[in-house]
Amino acid sequence: MPKLTLNGQEIEAKAGQTIIQAAEDHGVEIPHYCYHPDLPIDGNCRMCLVDVEKMPKLTPACTTLVNEGMVVRSENERVKQAVRGVLEFLLINHPVDCPVCDQAGECRLQDYYMVYGLHTSEIPLGMKVRKRKVIDLGPMVVLDQERCVLCSRCIRFFDHVTETGEMQFFGRGDHVAIGTFEDRPLDNPYSGNVVDICPVGALTSRDFRFKCRVWFLHATDSICGGCSTGCAVRIDHRDGAIFRMIPRRNPEVNRSWLCDEGRLSFHELNKTERISRPLIKGRDGVQAPVTWEEAVRSIDARLKEIREANGAGSILGFASPSATNEALFLFKRYLGDQLGATQFDFRVDSEDKNVLEEEDQILRHFDKHPNSTGAIKLGLMSRELGGIDGAIEAARAGQIKAGVVIYFPPLVRRPCDEEVEGRVFELIDVLEYSVVLAAHKSEWQTAASVVLPVTPWSEEEGTYTNFEGRVQFAGKAIDAGGDALAVWEAFAMLLHASGAEAPWMSAEDVFATLTEHVPAYREVSLDQTRLPGVIVG
Amino acid sequence: MTKILLGNIDKPDQASITKYRERGGYKALEKALAMEQTALIDEVKASGLRGRGGAGFPTGMKWSFVPRNTNKPTYLLCNADESEPGTFKDRILMERDPHMLIEGMAIACYALNCHLSYVYIRGEYEFVANTQQKALDEAYEAKILGPSVMGKDFALDIFVHLGQGAYICGEETSLIESLEGNRGYPRIKPPFPATHGFLASPTVVNNVETLAALPWIVQNGAAAYAAIGTEKSKGTKLFSVSGHVAKPGVYEVDLGYPLLDFINNEAGGVANGRKLKAVIPGGSSVPVMTAAECEGVLLDYESLLKAGSMLGSGGMIVLDETTSMPETLSVIADFYAHESCGQCTPCREGTGWAAKILKNIIAGEGKRSDVDLLLKIADMMEGKTICPLADADVMPIRSFVTKFRSEFEDLCSN
Repeated sequence: MPKLTLNGQEIEAKAGQTIIQAAEDHGVEIPHYCYHPDLPIDGNCRMCLVDVEKMPKLTPACTTLVNEGMVVRSENERVKQAVRGVLEFLLINHPVDCPVCDQAGECRLQDYYMVYGLHTSEIPLGMKVRKRKVIDLGPMVVLDQERCVLCSRCIRFFDHVTETGEMQFFGRGDHVAIGTFEDRPLDNPYSGNVVDICPVGALTSRDFRFKCRVWFLHATDSICGGCSTGCAVRIDHRDGAIFRMIPRRNPEVNRSWLCDEGRLSFHELNKTERISRPLIKGRDGVQAPVTWEEAVRSIDARLKEIREANGAGSILGFASPSATNEALFLFKRYLGDQLGATQFDFRVDSEDKNVLEEEDQILRHFDKHPNSTGAIKLGLMSRELGGIDGAIEAARAGQIKAGVVIYFPPLVRRPCDEEVEGRVFELIDVLEYSVVLAAHKSEWQTAASVVLPVTPWSEEEGTYTNFEGRVQFAGKAIDAGGDALAVWEAFAMLLHASGAEAPWMSAEDVFATLTEHVPAYREVSLDQTRLPGVIVG
Repeated sequence: MTKILLGNIDKPDQASITKYRERGGYKALEKALAMEQTALIDEVKASGLRGRGGAGFPTGMKWSFVPRNTNKPTYLLCNADESEPGTFKDRILMERDPHMLIEGMAIACYALNCHLSYVYIRGEYEFVANTQQKALDEAYEAKILGPSVMGKDFALDIFVHLGQGAYICGEETSLIESLEGNRGYPRIKPPFPATHGFLASPTVVNNVETLAALPWIVQNGAAAYAAIGTEKSKGTKLFSVSGHVAKPGVYEVDLGYPLLDFINNEAGGVANGRKLKAVIPGGSSVPVMTAAECEGVLLDYESLLKAGSMLGSGGMIVLDETTSMPETLSVIADFYAHESCGQCTPCREGTGWAAKILKNIIAGEGKRSDVDLLLKIADMMEGKTICPLADADVMPIRSFVTKFRSEFEDLCSN
């Protein structure tokens, strides 16, 4: 562990670290464009120059390894002047079109200008190098070559992360520009990442650009609901609408990346109409809106009747692997512990089989649900039923009379989804009594005895357990529409209506109870479920 | 003065292997092959030979940095990407006496235990590459190259590689990148080529003139070479002189030879009876010297450094009294702006900006403040980049502007 002095403060670095990394670990930000913790070092932007004793020239903090006894200054006048110079160079040919640039507000050129620059441009407008603008680079990315600082992050991303090498430098000197060969579109499933890592407005998101100024957005830390990988994300939202989703760095899971499907998965939430109120099917066969209290009283009474008549084994709990651990825990607590139901499952496809199966070597898994492992660990997988087909069969055979079904369609759609949804409909159709908890309206729900509006991913907080058993907390980004409640709240109400104690005021409370009762989660604190998350047995 | 490199340069048939051998060629290689490899390196060290590409780093010391027994091959790359404005000395060696370079390379390869070597020739020198290739073919035929060099148990292949016309590829790490098939971008050092060079293996990059001196050193001994020149600058040096002289061309002189004597005697003096105004002694990237500054200065590494300039590659440009210094600087600045690889911000943006300001000034559209702006840009660029290309622009800008400031100001308004 080499010790070094940084700006007069002695700090300890990890062996093999560069100055910029050691400084970052100790809360000192050295300005940079090209350095990125998850990309190979390039050392081209020259913004991170620092003054190291015994070195005649300033040296880049990103390329210089820490040595025992090194004396580094990142804030003296010599360094500031050099950084100011580099920044001035970066800006001379920049169009300074911030008013119409989507990056404004989160642009490193703006940020560093305020700290190091504040100079008046000495270059007349006519002297600037002109480059190409608004280049269409496929479904995710738009390129403006004039705004580029040529840090090569995007090039290195495609060279070293996806290993597809679509982007390259073209030209030489101050005419260098980034691009793809003959403007070919970026059509690999991770192309959106270059928008995030672009420190300026050169690469902007086709999906997000011009939708909202970033300073109007609120950020909520979450976990992507698109598959079982569980990438850390930030949801940017305003007035109850999600505008974009970008990765948060989790070195243990997704590093700084997110796949394009996951990135755009939130749009799925707005594609179909929401269920706004609880519905109960009357004697006339028509679903009519009721209050939550009426709904839960009716459900609890009806399920108890069925239990008296046919035994607890006739009640099926069919969960969703897209629901949170807290939702699934109270779901089982109500149906299993309170009513005595024994038949549980969640598999509409074969999530238990492909939960570990990688779709590629970078991030994506085939299981398009964020919490299949959580469902398995909470004991919601029945060997006897073997998934939805077994449940339908048991219902047809009259062994199962009633079912409580949570259903969230995957946020990343697959061609097989329609067939899967058809099976859920089949199940509802054959059940004598069915309670459906869902967020979005769907044709098949008209067959249900009761429909309860619940909140999908992003509208309730809770934890998800990813493919490897990592428990991660996802915050609530936006408020639910209509009367929708979090799934855990619905079951807390049912437990209360059923005469059991339901002391939880939040998902966090539910998680605390969960850790007390589920051995796999024992002694896990909610803090541990924040970055980088914790793997449970 | 001893002619080590240009002794046979005027003989029109010197490029043929038969004539080269008749005149004593490949005897040094034969002698070298009978020596211990380490003894050969010691011999080169003792000769005091320094890199002739411009930096003047001791050649023997460079070789001794190459680790032995690394399980990786060692490569020798001959830097023939001669592109510095004013420099045309290597070209003549390859054009007129290509076997001398092959012999020098073979000696170096043997000393370094290297079995694969490349001559990286600048793209514009296609005709030179053809001559060099023809000589290589002859050397293979004569079994001087190939699986058994001169019958000894030592294999050596040498290939000619033609660049694509980028000045930056004369910088050794760019040359390596280019040879590997990548964009010609200088690498961050460390690691140095001596340990992680071509194909991540130990690599030595030597200039043509450096390698061409080896046969003579081996044949005549290190002491004979070290006896020529000054205390720290040993041997002879080629100077390619151009500009306002009566006899532009390539001349070989002992290091330590007086600069003005060189101009007046070898180069035939300033042409047309005009007066000397300034000299760029070592290629366009070194600081310009005024005529007064040239007084008493000797042509060796130390003397020129002391006089505020550099020996560089020996590409001397002589400027007479009619020369416009702003125009001259503008040409030089254009060159560096055009050749900046664009990797590092200060060089990419600074070289281009300075070139544009100079264009404005010589067009009579500059402002007086532009003169100081040029100096500011020089400060902003200097010492902040991966390779020395930015500094190669800084040195002429700063020296031209400070030494001939009034010429620049006179062209500016307000």
